[in-house]
Amino acid sequence: MSPLLTVLVVLSGGVAAGVIGSLTGLGGGLVIVPLLTLVLHMPVPEAVGVSLFGVIATSTGAAPRFVGTGLANVRVGLFLQMAASSGALLGALVSHRVPAHFLFLIFGAVMLYSAVMSFIPTASDVTGAAVSSPFAGRLRLASRYQQDGRWVEYRVTGVVPAFGVMIGAGFLSALLGIGSGVFKVLAMDKLMRLPFKVSTATSNFMIGMTAATSAGYYLSHGDIPPLTAGAVILGVIVGAYVGGHLMKKLSSRLLRRVFAVVLSLVALQMLLKGFGL
Amino acid sequence: MNALIEHRRRITAGILRVSIALCLGLLLIGVGIFLLRGDERTPANPSGSLFDILGAVLHRGEALHAGAFLVAGLLVLLLTPVARLVAGIYVSARARDGLYVLIGLVVLALVVAGLLIGQAGG
Repeated sequence: MSPLLTVLVVLSGGVAAGVIGSLTGLGGGLVIVPLLTLVLHMPVPEAVGVSLFGVIATSTGAAPRFVGTGLANVRVGLFLQMAASSGALLGALVSHRVPAHFLFLIFGAVMLYSAVMSFIPTASDVTGAAVSSPFAGRLRLASRYQQDGRWVEYRVTGVVPAFGVMIGAGFLSALLGIGSGVFKVLAMDKLMRLPFKVSTATSNFMIGMTAATSAGYYLSHGDIPPLTAGAVILGVIVGAYVGGHLMKKLSSRLLRRVFAVVLSLVALQMLLKGFGL
Repeated sequence: MNALIEHRRRITAGILRVSIALCLGLLLIGVGIFLLRGDERTPANPSGSLFDILGAVLHRGEALHAGAFLVAGLLVLLLTPVARLVAGIYVSARARDGLYVLIGLVVLALVVAGLLIGQAGG
């Protein structure tokens, strides 16, 4: 494929990733990595590295939506980020030692999991845990956010198990080039009992930093083709902008389900490649 | 406290706006130069320390190499979450919140470690 055609294909893929990411809340990495490996036959470490830059672009592009709303709990984000960045560093370190077919298998499994989660209704927990755990109390994690003009106070619990999940989320993010938002939100929502909106906003705050930890590794290791990465990022930013406007006109629930079906099909293809079929 | 939150909001919003605009501008120039020159050779992958990569960007940027602008755009994007983190540490320091200054510094150290280990070929 000529460099010009590669730029056009990657740019289109980036736009698709940005649109889908902003409409469904699922990370663009689930689109970018299969595109780069299955369509453009790029080596897995390069595809993962490029995708991590796409993840930073998605997170940065979506961030203004959350800034100033008071939804992101910065203390929770910073505390859990120690775990996510440690996991990301570990994931980046082992990434070049994991055989490509094994990575395809893990990626396929994570995609299938994300697809299944898309069909499960999201929680609408507003107030969160009834009381803060002693550890969460010492870390002063309880906070409040504004909803419909009034302040909603919430407590926090389950800090230690969530910390453990974040190590795994960071590890997978670095290994597979994804944001791991689905795991981060799950840990904050189900284990820490944070209100769902707070979990989503805090996850967005964390995703960029997790991706930056391992993207720095891939960049200095020489795994980032600048033209491909540049085209992906441009596409993602444009796609996120378009998606933000489409969101007002389309049913995001329906789109999420359609995307989940597409995700399942690509996951099967990744699994088949992983099994050498 | 409200003034502090507003201060944090303004710093974060400013960082995000400037970095996205700068990143987009640099990447557009890079892709534009590549397409206009009709160069069949794709820019090489950067590697080494942040200073090595920055040095190469400045050196090649003078000759208007597409790769220099593309890598500069990537660096701006990579440093955006780091800048948000540094801003968070600064705001925590102003609030005399020692625990979260320390936690922020640990996270910053992990991000920097990623760069250092990658350059060492780990």
